[in-house]
This record gives sequence, C-alpha cells and structure tokens, in this order.
Amino acid sequence: MANVAIRDVRKSFGAVSIIKGVDVDIQDGEFVILVGPSGCGKSTLLRMIAGLEDITGGDIRIGSRIVNDVPPKDRDIAMVFQSYALYPHMTVAENMAFSLKLKGVSQAEQKKRVGDAAASLGLTPLLDRYPRQLSGGQRQRVAMGRAIVRDPQVFLFDEPLSNLDAKLRVQMRAEIKELHQRLKTTTIYVTHDQIEAMTMADKIVVMHDGIVEQIGAPLDLYDRPANRFVAGFIGSPAMNFLDGRLEEGGLVLPSGTVLPLDLRPSVPAGTKITLGIRPEHLQIAPAGTPGSIPATVSVIEPTGADTTLIVKAEGGNLTVVLRERCTLKAGEAVALRPVPQQAHLFDEQGKRIAFV
Amino acid sequence: MPVSPKQARTLKHRSWVAFLVIPSIVFMSLFVVYPILSAFAYAFYDWQGLARGEFVGLKNFREVLFGATMAPVVWNAFLHNVYALIALMIVQNGGGFFLAWLLYKEPFGFRFHRVAVFVPVVLSTIIVGFLWKLFLNPNFGVINQALYSLGLDALAKPWLGDSSTALGALILANAWHFVGFPTLVYLAGMQRIPPEIIEAARLDGTSEWQLLKNIVWPLVAPSTTILFTLLFIGAFNWFEIPYVMVGLDGSPFGTTDVLGLVFYRTAFGNQSASIQNFGLGSALATLLFLFIVVFASMLTLWLRRREIQF
Repeated sequence: MANVAIRDVRKSFGAVSIIKGVDVDIQDGEFVILVGPSGCGKSTLLRMIAGLEDITGGDIRIGSRIVNDVPPKDRDIAMVFQSYALYPHMTVAENMAFSLKLKGVSQAEQKKRVGDAAASLGLTPLLDRYPRQLSGGQRQRVAMGRAIVRDPQVFLFDEPLSNLDAKLRVQMRAEIKELHQRLKTTTIYVTHDQIEAMTMADKIVVMHDGIVEQIGAPLDLYDRPANRFVAGFIGSPAMNFLDGRLEEGGLVLPSGTVLPLDLRPSVPAGTKITLGIRPEHLQIAPAGTPGSIPATVSVIEPTGADTTLIVKAEGGNLTVVLRERCTLKAGEAVALRPVPQQAHLFDEQGKRIAFV
Repeated sequence: MPVSPKQARTLKHRSWVAFLVIPSIVFMSLFVVYPILSAFAYAFYDWQGLARGEFVGLKNFREVLFGATMAPVVWNAFLHNVYALIALMIVQNGGGFFLAWLLYKEPFGFRFHRVAVFVPVVLSTIIVGFLWKLFLNPNFGVINQALYSLGLDALAKPWLGDSSTALGALILANAWHFVGFPTLVYLAGMQRIPPEIIEAARLDGTSEWQLLKNIVWPLVAPSTTILFTLLFIGAFNWFEIPYVMVGLDGSPFGTTDVLGLVFYRTAFGNQSASIQNFGLGSALATLLFLFIVVFASMLTLWLRRREIQF
C-alpha cells in the first residue's frame, strides 16, 4: 500500500489542454473517487497514474517514488477497466494467474493466490470457464480478481460498473466497498455517477473541464459545495437554483417574491446572487403562504420510499423530494418554502458565498 | 383452384428469387463447373496432341504418381512446393505479422508505410518477376552491384543460375511481392483487439515479445486462418513467379521446378519438348486440386478451432 501525490499535473493532446494543473493527495489506504461529467479529464488522469498516458507537466508520486517515466508494469498498480479487458483466450484461472506467471511466481504459489482471490470473490466454480461464458457481473469480478492476485500498492478502477444493469451495479458497489474495507489497499476510482461517488468514497475529487472543482468527504461536498458546479453535480435529484438579488429582507426573486434568509451573507445588499436549495429542503406550503414561491405541480414520481415532484415555478422547473406520502395531484397550485438554514448562496461567478 | 393472396405473394417472391439466381447458376455451370468436370474427365483418356484417344481408366494417375518418367519429376516439384510453403509461411506471413505490429504502433510516417507495403501487391506478377530477374542479374543486377560496392565480392552469385540459391531467390521475390497482403490482414486483425486488452497486458507486466506471443498472436487467429489457408493454396498453385524468372523447365537442373510448371509442360508442352499430353496434365491437375481441397479444408478446420470470440 502507498500514498499517491499528484502535483500540478497537466496533459495536452497537441494544442488541446485536457488536464490543466491538478493537485490531489491520496493517503495510504484511502478510497478516492474522481468524479465529473464526460470529458472532464478524470479517466485521462487515471490513465496517467497508470502510466498508460504520458504526462505533459507536473509529477505523479506513488509511495516515495516519482513515476512519471516509470513504465506501467513497474508502478506496482493494478487496474480494472470499464470493459473488463479480460483475455478472451484464457480461462478465468489463467486470466488471474497471468501477471504472476510473467513474474515467474511458482505454480504452487500461483494456484494458492488465484484460489484465495477466487474464493473471496465467489469465483471458485468458474475458474475453468472462458470470459465469454460469464455474465457481466462475473466478468467484473474476474477483473477484480486479476487485480487482487497481484497484491498491488494501488488499485485503479476506470468506470468499472458502467456496463452493468442497475441492480447489479448496486450489488457490485457494495462488493467493491467491502473488498476495500478488507484489503485496505489505496484505491482510485473513476466514475461519472455521483451516486457511486457518494456511496463508496472516503474522499471525492470533483473534476470539471480539466481542473479540480473541489476535494472532500462525500457529505462535506453535499453540505458545503464550493461552487455552483459542485452543488449541481453532487446530489440526486440535483439542487435547485433560483437567481435573484440580495436585499435586507432576504433574496428577492425577479417577480418580487422575497425569500427570507436565516443568516446574513458576507456580500452587500443589492448583489446579484443565486440561491441553491436541495429538493428535500423545499417544503410544500398552502398556496399564497408569504415568503414562498408560487408553483404548479407538473409531474409526480412516487418511488415508494419518497416522492419526487417536478413543479413549474418562476425561473423554470424545480424539483421537490417529499419523504412522506403525497396526496397532491398534477396541476394543483402549491407554494414552496426553502428551509432557510439549508440554503446555499453563490455569487455571479458561481462561487459559494459564506454567511457571517 | 383459386390462388389465395398469401400464395400469390409467395409465388411472386419465389419467381423473383429464381430470376436473380438462375442466370448466375447457368453462368457458373457453363464456365466453371463444366470445364472443371471436363478436365477431370480428360484425365481418364489417352491423348495424342489435342486428339482424344481411348478411355484408359486410372493409367494417367498411376503414371503421374508412380511412372518411371513422370513420378520423379512430380515428386521433385512437389518437394519444392513444400519448401516454398514453409519458407513463405515464415518469411511472408511471419514477416507480415511483424510488419503489421510495427504499423499498429503507428510509428512516424505509418500512413505512408501502410500504403508503401501494399504497393507491390497491386503490381502485376509478371512485372515483379521481371523486376527481380533484373535485380538478381549476375552482371548488372542491383544485388550483386551492392555486394561489390560493399567489398563483399565473395558473396556475389548468379542467384538464379546457382542450384543452391535459385529457389530461395524465387521465394524472396514472391515474399516481396505479396508481404503487404498478410501485413494488412494482420493489421486489421490487430485493430480489432480492444485496446484495453493490450493495456491490461502491459499493466500485467508483459514484455514486447510476451505481449506478441501470449496476447496478440492468439487474438489474431481469424486472420491467421485466412492467411495460412490462402498461402497453402497459393504455394501449391505457384506458377507465375517461377515461370517468369526461371522459365518452364525450373532451371537450373529442375531445382526450381514446381507442380504448376510440371503441369504446364506436360499439358501444353514447351520449347525444348514439344510433347503435349492432356491426359497426364489433367491427371496431375486433378490430383493437385484434390490435394489442395482436402488439406486446405483440414487446415482451415484446425485453425478455426484456435479462434475465439471477444
């Protein structure tokens, strides 16, 4: 196991800059998730850590060693790919033993390590099968088994659950987390799915357009997003945003509706700001309640555990999540009242505004 | 009996299929199947020039395989075909595999090289044969001239006139002519391999050689099946390059004689021996055809077993 330090790492393909100076510290045994929308550079960064892409600038350190010019096989890492990348002409056992065979590990040791890894992943009955004879979930486990037998310093996962169906994804999520808790190997995991990031990570690195937007524990990111991008990206359903102007009484929406704020923001009155409010922090009030936003219920999505409402209000659609069962009907007029203590404020550049 | 709309549709469909298929069948039967069967039939008759004599059963086949005059020539030529097959398998197909790997890695100027390696394939074999005959000319050929200029006079030879080098020179010329074909087929096969598999192998610690041996070679098995089968057929039908470069007699002293030349000499005669024997020629052609069909099928079946699905 080892810590990983990424210092001012840059990557360009010709004139196009993909990674624009990224700094991340990953502690020994930590489970870090790189998350962001497609094209944000998260997979490129992971491939640079793996040594599959050259580094244009900066340093990557694994343990005490700068690995910029170290070939992938000498970095003591193992990677699980989105497409699993199993060798189709080898059995499960051969796939898992391949790296050990190349290293010249004895047959007996190979058998023991493959057997142990297979047992821990429930692959023992499948050892003689070929990848084409396995389901998606089984293939993913073999890919993980192939990584485990190497006993690397760092595990790298590149969107490993993207090809699985929703149910299997939830199951494999738990399995990967359980595996990490057992092995305690430093893990860097790339995903575009913020639910995966929230549920699995010790630390999340949110990336956007080649830069790091915020690094923090999942709930820190959820509760205190550093900017509007993180606020909108982390959380499902996504945060609602209402543009307005800060006045003494609170946030004044373009229609003149005043939404009271509990705390005083650190910017002067008259500043244009955006209020961010999570769907579960919007309360339904009777139509016409003062300090609330008038709205009309558009869509009702009961999920069993809770109910998601899409409502039409000034500035567009807003999402509301109700924990209790809902008796509202589509087309019904309601009023929405943001919980003032849970409001997030962002300036015109999208940066978080602190309260004083 | 009235025809239902469904039956009418079926009839119309069948007529349309027949309209498309029948002309092709007639054409193939007339110009492919009939000549092959005729050639097969010729093998069972005695021939005087172009005049067909009496039915002789398997006499021509016995003469080709065991006759005192014909058999030594045939078996000598067959052996040369086998040498050519083995050598071309290594030089042409093996060389193609390694060239494909170089191109796969997209070195500087790979687009140019990808075209350049295929250019000789589209040249006429007659032109290639003539070109190599000039290259190998003992007096002014570029090969010997190069050796002289490097001070390696002792290595200069009459390449096509020396029994020990003539067949090798033909094989080399053929490999130069066709190496672009296996190169492109292997390149296409390599490009079909998901790149993550190559990356996973690199992470697993493969050296370049281990990567080629353990991952790339098994995964281009479908390309190998096609190339090995085509080369097998080509090596036993080999004719143009030997014909252009060393003539019908497989000179010097039959050291470059191959079955294609023997067949041609036997069936159609040549300048030094004006004897024509369609019966023996057809028997040889038939045996060659059966040998190629049987062994190429076996080879294909064996190679197909190595192929795997991604």
